[in-house]
Formats: sequence, C-alpha cells, structure tokens
Amino acid sequence: MNNLTITNLSKTYSNGVRALNNVSLEIPTGMFGLLGPNGAGKSTLMRTIATLQEADTGSITFGEIDVLKQKNEVRKITGYLPQEFGVYPKVSAEFLLDHLAVLKGIRKTKERKELVETLLHKTNLYIHRKKKLKEYSGGMKQRFGIAQALLSNPKLIIVDEPTAGLDPAERNRFHNILCELGEHTVVILSTHIVDDVKELCPNMAIINNGEVLLQDNPLRAIEQVKGNVYSKTIKKEGLEAYQQAYNVIAERLFQGRKVIHIYSDSNPGNGFVPIEADLNDVYFSQIFGDKSLSGTA
Amino acid sequence: MLFEIFKFEIRYRLRRPETYIFFAALFLYSLIAVDSLFGGFPDSIKMNAPVIIARTMGIVTAFFMVVVSMVMGVSILRDFEHNMESLMFINPVQKSAYLGGRYLGSFVVLLGIFSALLIGTMLGDFMPWKDSETLIPFHFWNYLQPFLTVVLPTLFFGGSFFFVTGALSRKMMVVYAQGILFLILYIFTLQLAEGSGNQTSVTLLDPFSFQTIRELTEFWTPLEKNSQLVPFTGMLLYNRLIWITGGVLALIAGYSRFNFNVVRDKSSKKTSQTNGFKELLNEPSNLQIPTISIRFDIKTKIWQLIKHAAFYCKLILKESSFWVIAACAVATIFINSINLSTIYGVNSYPGTYLIISELIELSIFFFLLIIIFYSGELIWKERDSKFDQIHDALPVSDFTSFAGKFIGLALILALLLLFMVSAGILFQTFEGYHNYDLRLYFMEFFAGIFVFLLLLTFLSFFFQSVLNNKYALHIGVAAFLFTGIGLLNQFGWSHPLYLFGGSFLPTFSEMNGYGHLLEPYFWIKAYWFSFSVMLFVMATLLMVRGTEIGFITRIKLAKQRFTKPLVRTALGAFLFFVCSGSYIFYNTNILNEFSFPSTQKEYRANYEKELKKFEHLPQPKIVAGNLNVDLYPHERDFIAEGYFILVNKHDHPIKEVHIQKPPTNSITLHSVYFERASTLNNTFENYGYYIYTLENPLLPGDSLKMTFKQTFTTKGFEDNSNTDIVYNGTFFSNTYFPSLGYDEDIELEDIADRKEHGLEPKKRRASIHDPIALKEGMAEDDGEEIHFEVTIGTDKNQIAIAPGRLQNQWTEGNRSYFRYKTDQPITNFYSIVSADYEVTKDVWFQEPNEPVNLEIYYQKGHEYNLERMMNGMKKSLNYFSENFSPYQYRQMRIMEFPRYRSFAQSFPNTVPFSEALGFVMDIDDEKDVDMAFVVTAHEVAHQWWGHQVNPANVQGKSMISESLAQYAALMVLKSEYPQEKVHQLLKHQMNRYLKGRSNEEQQEVPLVLVESGQDYIHYGKGGVTLYALQDYISEDSVNLALHRFLRDWNSTTGLLKLQTDRYATTKDLLDYFRAITPDSLQYVIEDLFETITLYENKAVSASYEESSKNQFVVKLEIDVTKLRVNESGAEETVAINDWIDIGIYGTNEYGDEELIYLKKHRITDEFTEIEITVNQKPTKAGIDPLEKLIDRKPEDNAVTISGVRSNTAHF
Repeated sequence: MNNLTITNLSKTYSNGVRALNNVSLEIPTGMFGLLGPNGAGKSTLMRTIATLQEADTGSITFGEIDVLKQKNEVRKITGYLPQEFGVYPKVSAEFLLDHLAVLKGIRKTKERKELVETLLHKTNLYIHRKKKLKEYSGGMKQRFGIAQALLSNPKLIIVDEPTAGLDPAERNRFHNILCELGEHTVVILSTHIVDDVKELCPNMAIINNGEVLLQDNPLRAIEQVKGNVYSKTIKKEGLEAYQQAYNVIAERLFQGRKVIHIYSDSNPGNGFVPIEADLNDVYFSQIFGDKSLSGTA
Repeated sequence: MLFEIFKFEIRYRLRRPETYIFFAALFLYSLIAVDSLFGGFPDSIKMNAPVIIARTMGIVTAFFMVVVSMVMGVSILRDFEHNMESLMFINPVQKSAYLGGRYLGSFVVLLGIFSALLIGTMLGDFMPWKDSETLIPFHFWNYLQPFLTVVLPTLFFGGSFFFVTGALSRKMMVVYAQGILFLILYIFTLQLAEGSGNQTSVTLLDPFSFQTIRELTEFWTPLEKNSQLVPFTGMLLYNRLIWITGGVLALIAGYSRFNFNVVRDKSSKKTSQTNGFKELLNEPSNLQIPTISIRFDIKTKIWQLIKHAAFYCKLILKESSFWVIAACAVATIFINSINLSTIYGVNSYPGTYLIISELIELSIFFFLLIIIFYSGELIWKERDSKFDQIHDALPVSDFTSFAGKFIGLALILALLLLFMVSAGILFQTFEGYHNYDLRLYFMEFFAGIFVFLLLLTFLSFFFQSVLNNKYALHIGVAAFLFTGIGLLNQFGWSHPLYLFGGSFLPTFSEMNGYGHLLEPYFWIKAYWFSFSVMLFVMATLLMVRGTEIGFITRIKLAKQRFTKPLVRTALGAFLFFVCSGSYIFYNTNILNEFSFPSTQKEYRANYEKELKKFEHLPQPKIVAGNLNVDLYPHERDFIAEGYFILVNKHDHPIKEVHIQKPPTNSITLHSVYFERASTLNNTFENYGYYIYTLENPLLPGDSLKMTFKQTFTTKGFEDNSNTDIVYNGTFFSNTYFPSLGYDEDIELEDIADRKEHGLEPKKRRASIHDPIALKEGMAEDDGEEIHFEVTIGTDKNQIAIAPGRLQNQWTEGNRSYFRYKTDQPITNFYSIVSADYEVTKDVWFQEPNEPVNLEIYYQKGHEYNLERMMNGMKKSLNYFSENFSPYQYRQMRIMEFPRYRSFAQSFPNTVPFSEALGFVMDIDDEKDVDMAFVVTAHEVAHQWWGHQVNPANVQGKSMISESLAQYAALMVLKSEYPQEKVHQLLKHQMNRYLKGRSNEEQQEVPLVLVESGQDYIHYGKGGVTLYALQDYISEDSVNLALHRFLRDWNSTTGLLKLQTDRYATTKDLLDYFRAITPDSLQYVIEDLFETITLYENKAVSASYEESSKNQFVVKLEIDVTKLRVNESGAEETVAINDWIDIGIYGTNEYGDEELIYLKKHRITDEFTEIEITVNQKPTKAGIDPLEKLIDRKPEDNAVTISGVRSNTAHF
C-alpha cells in the first residue's frame, strides 16, 4: 500500500498569510485525522493534496505519483469532499452523480447505474434521488458530497470538515462509511472536532498556524499527557487569575460554573484533582498549552 | 435614517468596481458613439448638430439600459443575493427610509455613471479624428439640453422600474432580463408602427425618444438640423411626460407591494422535515460498493467530452433566463415577419432566402446576447454554484472540461438555429408558399450564421477565461464587438485577414446561387477558425482551475498544463492558420491587387491631378461599334475584340487619340490599332491611359477605324469580388470597354476625401450654360448616336442578349452564339447580358401594323409578375406612342439579373431588371400599388426620355430622363388603375422628396437645375410636380408639350436638333410647358420647376349650416403660408396668389368618405374664410386634400366639420 508523504510543504498567500509552514507528514493507509482550529491551514493542505492549489516549496508524493506535478494522475485516484461546496441548483442528485461518474471515467452505463444507486443507498439519499439538489437540506447536501467523493473507488480520500452541519445520527452513519473505506484506502479527514478523530483515526496530526504541532497515534498522544492534566471547578470570575497562575488548557461550563483543565508536570494542589486525560486535553494542550509540552511530544 | 441609508448606499457603490467599469464603458463608447452611429450621414449635417447629439444620447441610453438595470435592479436585491436580508430586516428600519435611501442613493450613482455620456459626447467632438469642417462651434447647451430632456427622463423611468422589479422579484436573473426585455418591447412597437404605417404611436411611446426625435425632425433641412435644438414641446414633451408618469407609477406600486418578510419560498423547508424522521429509521445500508472499471483512453475522453457538452446544454435548457430570451426572439420574429417589405411598401414572396435574411437580422441580437451571457455563465458555472472544488478535482483534462462548455453552448446555438429553420418553414406555410429550400436553410444557418456565432463564442470564451471577471466582460465583449469592428472599418482597414471572422455568407441569388463567392468565404472562415482554435488552447491553458486565480500564477501553471495533445492541437491550428492565411493572401494580394480604400482614393486623386488637363482635349466620337464578345461564365472571363469607327466632329484636326482602359485590374487591353500609322505614348500606363499620336491628323469630318482586343480575366479570388460577371446572370455595360479621353467618373467624389487630397469639391454637373457640356449627352463625351453590332458567345445553356435585332443564333460545340444588330442608331450605351433563362414572348402592334416583339427573360420559378410586366410594356407602349411619339425600335426586352444590384436600367430596347426588384414581389391589388407595372412603365418610358431625347450632360439632365419617365409611368398607371393607387404612389414620391432634402449633402436646387445624385429631386419631386402640372393645365396639354419637345429634340430626327450640335436642356423643356400654359397659371411653372417652393397649408376650422333642404353652407377657415428657399438655403415667406384645391368630404351610400366638392380657389391671403354650398351633408373640409402641393404636414390639411354653426362658434 502507498503512503502519502508530505515533505517541507510551505505556502504563503498573496496577502501575506502564511498558510503552511514547512509541513511534513507521513500518512499511511487508513484514517488519518487532521485536527486543528479554524484557520490553522487544514483546508489549504487538503486543497493542495487535491490538486487545487499550488505550494511554494516542498513536495507531496503518493506512491509513485508526484502530487504537485502529475495532477491528473492524482485526480484519477482521489475522492475529494471540500469543506464548503454548492451544487448545480436545478439538477437531481442521481443525474449529477451519474455525470460525475462519467467524468471519472466510468464508461459502462450499467456499472455506473449500479454504483450510483449503491452510493445513494449508502448515503441514504436513494429516496431523494430525483429531487433537485437546491431543495436538499444541509445534511443531505453533505451526504451527497460524500457520495460523490466515493465514486470511482478512490485510493485517496480527502474529506475536509465533513461532519460540520450533520446531526448526530447522520454523523454516525458517515463515520461508519469512512471506517469501511479506511481499511484499504488513505483517508484524510480534517476536523476541529476532537471526537471525530478519537472515534475513527489510528493516526492523527494537530496543526495550527500552518505548522504541525504533533503527529502521532491518538492513544500514544494521550499517553504523553497522562497524569499531567488536572481539573477544577471554579467561579466564573476567577478564571483570569487561574490563567495567570497555571497552564490552563481547557475551560468549559458545567451547570453554570466553570471547569478548567490545566497541564502540570506535578500536582498543583489548590483543589485541583488529577483526571484521566483524553484527546481533547492533548488537543487543547497543543493549541493553548505552553511550549514545554511540544518538547516532550 | 433615510439620509443615513442614502449615504451608505453611495459609499458602498463608490467602493464597488462595477461603478467605475460602467462609467468607463459608457465614457469610451460615448467618445465614438456619434461616429459609429451616424458615420454614414450626409456631410451637410454636422456631426455635432443638436439633432445628432440628441439622437445619439437617446440611442446610447437604450444600448446601456442593461447598465441601468444592473445599477438600479440590485440595490435591494443584493441583500437577498448575499443572504443579508435577515440581518438587514431585523434592524428597526422604516420601509420608507430603507427603500427611499436605497433608491435615491442608487439613482444618484446612476446619474454619476451616465454623466459619462454627457462628458464623453462632448469630448468626442475634440477627438483627433474629428474634422472641424464637419462640426459646428461648441455649445454646452446643445449637449445639456438633450441630456436633460432625453436621457434624464429615460433614466428616471428605467431606473424606477428596474429598482422596483429587482426589489419585488428578488432574482438576479430578472435584473439581467429586464434591461433586454425593455429593448425588445421597444422593437415591438417599432415593428407594429411600421406595419400600420402610423408613426404617431411610436413617436409617442418610444421610451428612449430617439425615434420621436427622428420623426419630429424628419423633414428638417440640413440648415435647420445644424442650427436648431430639438424643441422640448409637442410630441417629445408628451412622450417624456408619459414615461415620467410611468416611472412614478412604478415607484408607487413598488412601495406598496414591497414588504420586509424574509421567507418567500414555501416548499423548501417542508420536505426536509417530513423526511427527516423516516430517514432516521433507515439503517445505514451495508451494501458493498461495487468494483467498477475506469478507463482513461482516448475513446473515453471523446465520450466524456460529448457527455460533458450534453450536460451543459441541458443546464442551459433548465435556465428560465434562456427561455425568456428565446421566447423574445421568437416573438420578435413572428411579429416582424409580417413585413417582407421591399419597395413602396410592396411585399415580396416569402422566398427562402428572404425569410432567412429576415430571421437572421431579427435574431442576431439575441444570439449575441446568448453568447455573451452564457459563455460567462458557463465558465463561471461551478464557481457561481460553489461546485468548483469538486469539479476541478475531477480526473478530466482541462481541455475536456473547457471544450465541454464550449460545445454545450454551440449545441444550444445549433438548437436555436434548427428552431429558426422550423419557424421559417412554418411562416412560409402560413403564407401559402411551399417552395422550401432546405439546402439553402442549411447553408445560411449552419454554414453561414452558425460559423459566425462559433467564432464569436471562441472569442468570448477566450476573454472570459483569460481575464477572469464575469460582469465586466459581459459589457467588455459586447463593447469590443460593436466598437472594435466599427473602428477598423472606420479607418479603412478592411482586409479579411485581420477583420476578425471575415465577412458574412455572400448574398444568395436564385439565379446564381452563391456563385464564385463561396470559395473565398470558406477559406476565410477556415483561417479564422484555426486562429480561434489557437485562442481556445490559450484559454484552456489559462483558465482558472482550483483556487489559484492570480494571472501570474496561471501563466506559470500553463506550462505544466500544456500537455501533448494540446501542443499538437495548437501546432496544427497554427500550421493551418499560416497556410490558409498564405493562400488567402496569395489570392487577394498576389494574384489580385489588394488596395486599401485609402490607396484607392489616392490613386483616384492622382489620376485627376495628373490627367485633368486632358479633360477638354478634343477627341473623335464613336459612331459605330462592332464587337465580338466571348464570354466564359464559369471561368468568369471574357475576350472582346472588334472595332469602333471614330469621327472627328470638331472643326479642327485631331492629332492625338487618348484611350482609357476600364479601371479594373481584371481587364487587360492587349492591342489597339488605328487604320493609320500612330505612335504610342504610355507615360500614364499605370492609369490605363494611353495616348496615340496619329502621324496624319484626323481632319474634321474624317473617320478612323480603331480595332482593339481586350480580356477580362478572373484569377483566384479577391476581397471585393466582381459580381457583374458571374456563373449565371452576367450583366455588364459598355463601361467594360475602352473609352476615349479623360474619364471624369474616376475622380474622387466625396467632399471630405477630395479635401484630404487637396482637391476642391467636385461640381456635381456642368452648368446649364456650359458650351462644351451642352454638346455631350448621356454617353458623356465618347459619341452619342452609334450603329451597333455584336456577336456574343457564351455557354451552351445560356442566352446572351444585347440591344438590337437578333440576326443570327447558332451553337458550336458546347457554346452558343448570338448576333445582334441595331436597325437604327442607338445611344452609345449598351449592355451585355447572359444567363440560363426562361423566356416569355408576346407581340404589340404599333399602328398601323408594325409588330414589336416583347420578351421577358427570367429565372425559372420567378413567374409571379410576368403578366404584370408584360401588361406594363404593352400599356406603356400604347400610351407613349399615342401621346408622345412612335416607338423607335422593333423589340422590347426585359432581362432578369442577380440581386447583387437592385435596380432596373433602360438600355436601347433592352431593360436589365434586378431579381430583387419586381420579379418576386407579392403584389396585393387591394392594398399595394402594382410596382412591377410601374417600374416596367418607367423603364419603357426611358426609350423616349433618354433614348429618343438625349438630354445634354448639364444641370437638369435627369429631369428630362428621370422625371419625365416618372411622369410617363404615373400617367400609364392613372390610365389603367384606380385613382387611389396613383395617390398612394404620389405619397411615396412626396416622402422621398421631403426625406431626401432633409439629408441633402450639399444644397438643394430647383428641379430644372437638378444635379447628379439628387434622386430625391428627379424621382421624388419630379413625379409630384409633373403630376401637379397636369392637374393644373390638363394631361393632354402636358402631353402635347412633350410631343412637341420630342418632335424638335429627338436626337437623330429632331427638327431643332438637326440644326445644332448641342443637346436639349430643361430650359428647352420649360419653353414647351410655358407655351401651353394659360397666363393665369404661368406662376405654377416657376413654383414647381424653377424654384424650391413649399406650402404650409392648414384647415383651421370648418362648420356648416343647412340653409334649405339638401343645401349645406360650409364655412371653412384656412391658413396658407407659401415658402421659398433662397440662395443660402433659408426659407422665406412669399406672397400668395395661388389657385389651390379646396375640398369637402361627405359620406356616400356605402358609408365611405368621399370628396363631394373639389375645386381650385384663388387664395391671396394667409388667412382665408371660404363659404361653399354643397348638396349633401358634409363631414370634413380642407385645403389641398389630395396633397398635390408640397407640404411637410399634410395631415392638418382637412378638419372634421364641427357641426351646425352657432353664433358663439369660435373664431
């Protein structure tokens, strides 16, 4: 099986924004989670792999294919679901899928028909297949996006924030489909939802401000912070003081009060209790935490 | 609040690039608008005359209605487009403030944009290409006044209307479509009005009012046009008020209908909710995704391309906007097709080529619209619907994806064309015409217009993909098309190798098909097609795929994208481009000589400068010609050899004979021999001008035989190909043979051109007192009366015809020969005609018993009007021989020739008659004048007026030839047809005169001094005034005068002519008229012929009183102004002492209105009150009711009688 290898990839936009800064990643077959906040550079990276964008420096290879140069070769084996997309408003899902299958090179009408039907069933759009795409709800449109990405048995699937706007049941169904695919395929999933990665991905990377902060197996990453995360429920007003005193990596409300997580090498006392760290803590400690952690990672 | 929104709107617009793009487009177009719209106008009307400025502004506003729509239509709509409405409407804004602020803000911006029109038009007059000669001094008010009266109300109405429709419909498409719809609506009214002949509705309803202005100033003389502003009164004022009211109503309606609710779409939400529950019950299926075979071979690529094209074709077909445009096109065609008007309002038979040219003319605008609009839409399709990231990552090549769109649009165009074919056939069927020519439909639509449209689509795709800005390009491509091509032509750069797309499909003639013109057409199209393919490859390389949109990045990427197939395509196209270009160049510039208009002008100017000195050099005259013309129609060649007999008619010896070869490169003069020794001086060979010095001068009265041989050879093809010598339907005159001495016709004519080359304006015709010109007749100076013999050889299946009696006719191998010889002298003016003809024959007997053979040679299928023409010949010969003098020849022939030229021309006993003119007229005797009859009569009349009396080549010449022929035709019409047909024709003549004089290039002159090129005088005014003369002094008297004129001035037997070597003039003619006119009416001759006299006749009021049973006393008040145009062209009122018709109408037993009283009254005052007793109840009364006098506003000549008179009746 082929790995997707990204080496020293950098991209700066004409407005000066540095979207990717020397990114190197090794992505094996299976689900790969790309975790990062909005604006971290995930989509830029995904678009670059999907041949839609140029990089300033660096290289991407997929097996024998030089992704940045042999664009058409990449396109032949890739399924891509962009973060945000629209549809031709006046055509039906079935019609458009069939046409996309044509463009993917599926000559035989029978094969195409069978494939489209299967995918419509899989994404549970079969009963809506004749409906105009503009009448689709957000979730249905997203499922349509997934269906089109799976046409042509891709070897590389790039899904950018696929679960945004899906309700829990839809999200669940989507995860199932992806899992199935991840057995033989490189699937890159970008998300800012930690649970998506936790549930699906044997491999992941955390990316922020165009830089890879961490690439690892989620369990191993959790192992890294294990025993160093402490929690405390505080008054809302006190947050600022805690932020100054501790390395606060997460805060959330719980029944109107604030629960904070901190990262600390030793037990800080002061009412903090050690907790079982999860991937969220890894993520937030990477994004908000101090640099000491990157050193240990 | 309103002011805040207003300010916000303006600030917002000032930040938008469109605002500046619109301004710039309008400004640039305004700079050249006058030139491109009024380029062909007569020089006498200055290019910045107030009328021109006003009409230009009106027209430009109409063109830019789409801008009005894009500015005003979006001001509310954009909140919806950008899904901002929820945010906007949740704010506590009052409806009036929101709408008012947005409206006012947008309107102020619109005014700002349209100020470009005002500024541009003004600056346009200071552009370097303007000639101060063609301008009047600058007056700011001349520009501001029309801007305020014409442009501003249009903007108000259009702006208000578009604002409201945009706000209410909330659809971007509506904004696009409405600007176009507006224009179509206007075309409708125009067409309807044309059909009914009633212009008032258009004058009143034209939303842009440029037609209103045209109507109002139609009969203005150039002097008036140059000096007067279009007054903002009357029709123009009403028109503007109507549209301003329309604008106000639109605003009121819009305000009351608009509301702030956000959700309008009822269906969309519901469906997703009802199904939501059901979906959850559906367990995700564990179906295996089937394995499939994917191929990327070339076959797949082609198949993908076809499927992709079909996909885009379907997408366009799903657009309602497309159906709107298509429906408009169809409606325009169906409303308009009713008029297949050719001349004098007579329709033609709906022959396939006429239908096609109508269809194309009407629909081309919509096709351009579709191309410009949908090439943008298709290229932006994915980006507009945000599907681009998915689409661009698909494994289709750049070429497939781009070409799919191109072919998709091409399919749409082809579909529409097929639709047009069915529309055409349907229309023909409705008209009861079943001679469908499918081959012609295919040629015109697919080989013709489709290719043109494809080339434009290439261009539009190229710009759209390279420049990557949809909205600017809609306007940019349109502006490019309209101005680019116009400008090139303006500067005289007309070679097909750089005029994008080349020319349209050549004229189709049922006689000659496309003839030899088709081959160059296809070459030029192939050349531009290969050029377009190169553009297409470039566009493919540079199109946006993915998220990189920067131009530089795209150029860098292009290298990567330049795949082998694309390289091959580009290379192939380039090779073909070079080869076809070279081949075209070889044909047009090497085999033939290509000259730019400027080169040609220079040549003509130099000819005059160098050779004018020979103009009056005495030359012998031709008295006989004997020619052998071997015509090879399919090679488009001929060989002519033979001789002229020259006689010295001067009273001193002639030493030099000057020969002028016809000025075309196709003709080579191989040899010229004189019967006596001569030496050749060919200093002026480059003008085809040869001087032969005779060793022994030709003594007065002596004759000399000149033998010559020349060839006309066609090589390859040229840009401006000859259409006189063609495969079937050759027609050329003796101008194709050598002539004697300096040829004045080669001189430049246009005043501006002459000035550019340092030449004074050319005298249009020699003075009536010019002693030299008086001795020249129709043939100018080569000799007038000649004996003529000719043998013509042509293809076996063709008949060749020349003047004279057919002596002999034989065939040799695959060629036919015809020998003609004249029985009596003819003017030195003859034609050679050859085509594959059908013939119809008849005989007319001249008293006592001389047969005259009547023949019509025509194209098979053009039988419609043969009887009318034959009848026209007979009735004319009858009338003319009875009233004027006997007919001089023993035959009279009409020969059809192809529609490259549309006239009929009378040669001695032969009349070549254009295919376009009378042969295919669908004459409805109920409503039409029998124009086939009239034109025939006119041409037959020339056998007298021209061929019996040869007029001197001086001012007034064409009064004798044309006006008298027109009079003669009117008299034959009068003798054979009801009176109203005569009036119908006279009305046309009157309009021709009044319109013509308002476009006079130099100066109008009285009829007796009519100059060359003033056909509005010699045809229009000539017909009207001679008809009036016979109305005053009786038809018999006029005919008697003409009979005497012929008796004395017949060019071979005339009593006076035999005593002089000069030819007859209008001065002579008027003497005969005077002789038979009573003293009391002598003034009429001065008014009609010797001066330019106009009347402003008006019936002010009329009433009646029943004095006793069946005795009605009508009291009529009239207002008469008599005007005369003085030397400087200004009108002056002159005293009245005229006999003018007074008429009273009543109702006859059928309920129709008819004249119950018509009598000439002597009118001596401006205001006159007349009492007339009639014995029937009057309905209307007036002055000159039959419009015999020249009056620009005849519609106020009569008034409805207001009923029983009472004491309080207004004065």
